[in-house]
Amino acid sequence: MAKQLLKGNVAFAEAAVRFGLQAYFGYPITPQSEALEHLSGRMLREARVFLQAESEVAAINMVYGAACCGVRVMTSTSGPGFSLMAEGLSYIAGSEIPVVVVNMMRGGPGLGNIQPSQADYFFMTKSAGHGDFHPIVLAPASVQEIIDMMGLAFELAEKYRTLVLIAGDGSLGQMMESAELPPMQPLPALRPNWAVTGADGREPNVITSLYLVAEHLEEVNLRLQAKLADIRQHEVRFVEAQTADAELLLVAYGTSGRICTSVMRQARQKGIKVGLLRPQTLWPFPAQRIGELCEQVRGILVVEMSAGQMLEDVDHAAGGRVPIRFHGRMGGMIPMVDDVLADLQALATSLGLAP
Amino acid sequence: MPDEPRASDYKSDVKPIWCPGCGDYAVLAALMRAFAHLRLAKENITVASGIGCSSRFPTFLDTYGIHGIHGRVLPLATGIKLGRPETTVIAVGGDGDGFSIGGGHIPHAARRNVDLTYIVMDNNIYGMTKGQPSPTSPEGIVNKAAPYGAQEGPLNPILLALSYDVSFVARCYSGKIKELTDVLIEALKHPGFSLIQVLSPCVTYYNTYDHYREITQPLPSSHDPTDRLAAIALALQTETQYLGIFYRDSSRPSYGERFDAVRAKAPQTTLAAIFEGLKR
Repeated sequence: MAKQLLKGNVAFAEAAVRFGLQAYFGYPITPQSEALEHLSGRMLREARVFLQAESEVAAINMVYGAACCGVRVMTSTSGPGFSLMAEGLSYIAGSEIPVVVVNMMRGGPGLGNIQPSQADYFFMTKSAGHGDFHPIVLAPASVQEIIDMMGLAFELAEKYRTLVLIAGDGSLGQMMESAELPPMQPLPALRPNWAVTGADGREPNVITSLYLVAEHLEEVNLRLQAKLADIRQHEVRFVEAQTADAELLLVAYGTSGRICTSVMRQARQKGIKVGLLRPQTLWPFPAQRIGELCEQVRGILVVEMSAGQMLEDVDHAAGGRVPIRFHGRMGGMIPMVDDVLADLQALATSLGLAP
Repeated sequence: MPDEPRASDYKSDVKPIWCPGCGDYAVLAALMRAFAHLRLAKENITVASGIGCSSRFPTFLDTYGIHGIHGRVLPLATGIKLGRPETTVIAVGGDGDGFSIGGGHIPHAARRNVDLTYIVMDNNIYGMTKGQPSPTSPEGIVNKAAPYGAQEGPLNPILLALSYDVSFVARCYSGKIKELTDVLIEALKHPGFSLIQVLSPCVTYYNTYDHYREITQPLPSSHDPTDRLAAIALALQTETQYLGIFYRDSSRPSYGERFDAVRAKAPQTTLAAIFEGLKR
């Protein structure tokens, strides 16, 4: 397929169709409504299901229902809508069914605004609903990566029967850039054997998150935790650049990660030996690799569009071995290369590394 | 008696950001006129809203105001009214906010009969998110999120409100500001929950001015607004959209009154007595 100019929201929606999305349920919210609009026509032309729900609560429960039937299903939203979905996300996690949700983060808390943000990090990685669970959280940094991660999201969701979230932000959803879509893939021929498909000739499948007996629920909890441990071991993904000789390390994801690529390039021109680690999975988090790099680098600068949320995971991974600085913008503001570079230079100077 | 306040006294210094020609301007003007007519003190008014173009409303008024959560204006307004019963509380929002995501709250406001005036500016479209079908869009409407036409039929807000037994139900049209003002005055005076559907066209994504000019007409002068069955029969006529007060029952106690009556039955006690009780 040739590259074409694509808007992030349209790109992930179209990629989902090509990766075999069978049903989409959503509710309009800026800055991701273009995805819903794209799918409103596209899904119908493919004779698949599209429905604009009456709320995000309805949307996530429609997703829940379709997923129980073994249908490849997703929804997409932004901050406030994602908050509304939290109850459903918890039930989906407890029921162990594959579901993909895209959250194009916007400024918060509350109504906030419709500008890009990364302030849903805690919410998405650590507390997307009540109870003990973590979704897999993927963090794309370009339109191409959103496309690629849609395929990965469905794959991981179905492999582990788990909730997969894609943590985008308003700028990724709204920006247009050149990207390549995958070819159209065939829909799954069979529905999975755990799904509710009619119990003719077999034992009924029961999908539930209700276990009234404490011992039973604890068994389920332990099984869920074992699955999460498996995911933690096998599904950590990140991009590393120029770390071989790095004395300083930038850690940033998504849009901030992309900005830090420019910061790194300019810092290198100034003679600062800096590398970049950009997590592509926020959960599971590349804590081990950051820990390893702490044996090599002298300091870390974390950059986020938040008050410092991933910062806590980096801090935990570093375990006090190197100083950590933070550069954060909030309210829909995007970090500027010059400002991050200034903080990086200050860190270098404080460590006696300035050229 | 002091001079009647002017409508403009209730205006804040924030200029409305609605599109030129939006029906919501007329609703804002009519509500300020109604405030002036009733000589309401600005400091005794709270206007609460949800999310959507029309929910920008409180910003443009020099009264108390809260811009709340999408679909949750009725619980929000209920909290305000119970917290400050002496204030006049107005809830505002659009058709998406009120009838879609927030639709589940209307029957409960109705059965409580909280003393609120709920103004729904119904433009039959999601305007703020740029034109997706709303719960009052006609079936088959073609727009960005329904390129081959919406499958769902529209809700009938007046019929719903009457079925929920809302104690004051009216429909207005923002193209008829005098009648709108008169209905709002009556709604503000009503001692209970009032729901006013205002047909308030969106000039940008779904311009219905010509349509509503054609199909609206005043309720028959013979209509008795205490006759709920007659009101329901008129609400069922959707080819003609009747304007005016469909139903009004002023005899029903409001939630506040009922709350006071029930609270009077609860025995008075002191903290010391509660602790004493725990000892036994």
